[in-house]
Amino acid sequence: MENLAIANIALLLGALFVLIGIASSLLASRFGAPLLLIFLVLGMLAGQDGFGGIVFDDFRATYLIGSTALAIILFDGGLRTRMASFRGVLAPAAMLATIGVLVTTVATGAAATLILGLSIVEGLLVGAIVSSTDAAAVFFLMRSKGMQLRRRVNNTIEIESATNDPVAVFLTIALVEVLVLQEADTGWAFAALLLQQGVIGAALGVLGGMSLVWALNRFALPHGLHPLLAVCAAVLIFALTSVLGGSGFLAAYLAGLMLGNRPVRAFPTILSFHDAATWLSQIIMFLVLGLLATPSTLVHYAFPAILISAFLILIGRPLAVWLCLTPFGFGKREKNFISWVGLRGAVSIFLAAIPTLTEVPNAEIYFNIAFFVVLISLLVQGWSVGWMATRLGQQSGESVADPKRLEIDLPGQLELEMVGYPITENSPVLARAVYPSWMRVVMIVRNGEVLTPEAAGQLQAGDYGYFLAPPGRVPRLDRLFASGDGGKPPALGMFSFAGDALVEDVARLYGLHVPADLKKLTIADAFDERFEDRVEVGDRIAIEPAFLMATAVQNDEVAAVTVEFDDPDEKPLTPSSRIMTKLKAWRSRRALNRAASHAVDRRKAAEPEGPATGSEQQKG
Amino acid sequence: MLLDILSSEAVLPAVKANGKKQALQEISAHAARLTGLDAHEIFETLLQRERLGSTGIGEGIAIPHGKLATVDKLFGLVARLEKPIDFDAIDGMPVDFMFLLLAPEAAGADHLKALARIARVLRHPGVLERLRAAEDADAIYAVLLENSAPQAA
Repeated sequence: MENLAIANIALLLGALFVLIGIASSLLASRFGAPLLLIFLVLGMLAGQDGFGGIVFDDFRATYLIGSTALAIILFDGGLRTRMASFRGVLAPAAMLATIGVLVTTVATGAAATLILGLSIVEGLLVGAIVSSTDAAAVFFLMRSKGMQLRRRVNNTIEIESATNDPVAVFLTIALVEVLVLQEADTGWAFAALLLQQGVIGAALGVLGGMSLVWALNRFALPHGLHPLLAVCAAVLIFALTSVLGGSGFLAAYLAGLMLGNRPVRAFPTILSFHDAATWLSQIIMFLVLGLLATPSTLVHYAFPAILISAFLILIGRPLAVWLCLTPFGFGKREKNFISWVGLRGAVSIFLAAIPTLTEVPNAEIYFNIAFFVVLISLLVQGWSVGWMATRLGQQSGESVADPKRLEIDLPGQLELEMVGYPITENSPVLARAVYPSWMRVVMIVRNGEVLTPEAAGQLQAGDYGYFLAPPGRVPRLDRLFASGDGGKPPALGMFSFAGDALVEDVARLYGLHVPADLKKLTIADAFDERFEDRVEVGDRIAIEPAFLMATAVQNDEVAAVTVEFDDPDEKPLTPSSRIMTKLKAWRSRRALNRAASHAVDRRKAAEPEGPATGSEQQKG
Repeated sequence: MLLDILSSEAVLPAVKANGKKQALQEISAHAARLTGLDAHEIFETLLQRERLGSTGIGEGIAIPHGKLATVDKLFGLVARLEKPIDFDAIDGMPVDFMFLLLAPEAAGADHLKALARIARVLRHPGVLERLRAAEDADAIYAVLLENSAPQAA
């Protein structure tokens, strides 16, 4: 009976923590605090030095939970990455993920050796543990802040963070081996092992992903099992690859990438399920890692850890980024920004558990230092990344508040996806006379009535629209239907320039600063340089203090831009007016959510009468 | 604000022009008379600017502008056209109201600020209607000044 009671109490506590984690997301979004940090702190509070008083020091369980969670998070990251985004950034991202990690390891390792008074190998191990940026933290941060970064920067950061873990894992394991066995492998054996990890990881990831696509499309499973199959496959691919001596992290990411870029049955369900699975993984992983830490021991390492963090953030990471990206013609601000987004996260803490598991001498040093570094990175970089993006001119537009997209699975249909959006006054779609040719309006819910597109005519604010679009293009619809907070009034000056005008000429006219890499280019070429894969109407290039915005695109070339300036007379917001603006934005968002859910309710209520709407019910 | 760059003589209530070039020529000539600059130099500067892209910002408004080495401070001039002309404007609409702005070579941010301010005044709700309906130069000037006060924004 006692065992049952313990199980129930464990369950109660576990559920309670996840619940608190979920609740704290509300808090976090109000203050813009990095949510992952809150989960971590929650775990620490529940731990042996906090209110919870739970003594948890099971590194083995942590490693298990961490691996599973990371596999799911990386798989999800791949799932949401468009293959097209690899174009043009594969080489720089790969450079960062390999040489960059190595440079960070060596630089930070050298610093750690001096600061902590360790042997060189031990110092390097500290460097290796904190060398990789964390995909979970980076993906999460960029998406939760709704940041619209310039495409090249955005894609480089995402791909780097998804692919650099294997190198860090490898370096860590290799250094641990040296420490435990007290003998150094030759450099060749090192390189061979790295190659083996990469090749096996890549091969199994691609193969596994393709098999998964095939299985999903081949077998008609009961509705709810598709997403489960995907998650299980992700963990299976991760574990199998690791067992066979490959990089499981790389494999999980690539498998997700395969799945996300092929037409797959029930994809919307898989995606929304994965959304939940990723959240749960994040919460549990960070809670457990927080639980594992012992704050009373942690404080002993505070001073050296802060020094190492500062070195990593201000010197180690920038050094690696500048070395790796300079050959690819990245601008100074771009490099500074990419340096700043080198967030450390769970991977580092998780890697820091390896020395303990393998009984390396002084194992607690690694764990505590890594934990502290992650804490500082989340706190300093995580909190300021949005501000930094704006300051360094890396935002491509206003941040897009999560569009309230509703996805509906069309059974047996892979070419088209049905999505619904609430239309608000600020939706950019209202300003457009024509819709994209690949988007088909299915129906419009207006004032509780379900209308055919013919009957409804033009979209209006307050409508709830349903559209058919190819799955790959749905993300572009997000921009069209972004609700926007109306926080920023439209810019004032609006002069149009042809695509073949020189950027320099425009800049000279208004005394604007042309980024060095765009001098001597025509406007069309400048956009080509910045958005090499696909330029779209609305893309922007900053030429301080104004920006160029593409208004017409022909054959993938910018044909016309407008120059827009922010209103120079605009008063800087006072703290109180800033709070009022936030409050207003929040209230209007809430009203919008309510309106949207009303529309859905009404639509449901209206369904029996409308035969046309009956066919898209989600499940039988 | 607007008072600094626009004097009451620099308002032309009824300019006759059959096309973009002629309109630019007309306002260049008037600007030259008021500033003592060379009309041809002004015209060339404006024309060069238009080659980069039209200064027609939509709704029948154009803000031709350019930098001149010979001008010593920001100079504005307003012209209402008797009949609208084609201006390759951003929205394709013919233009019937022009605001000329000449800036010294070193104007930098001031040039930008002035342009933004002019655009804002002209886009103020109802202003265009009143400008088009205004009886004479003084009435146009009054409408512009009235709406250029900071609180009008």
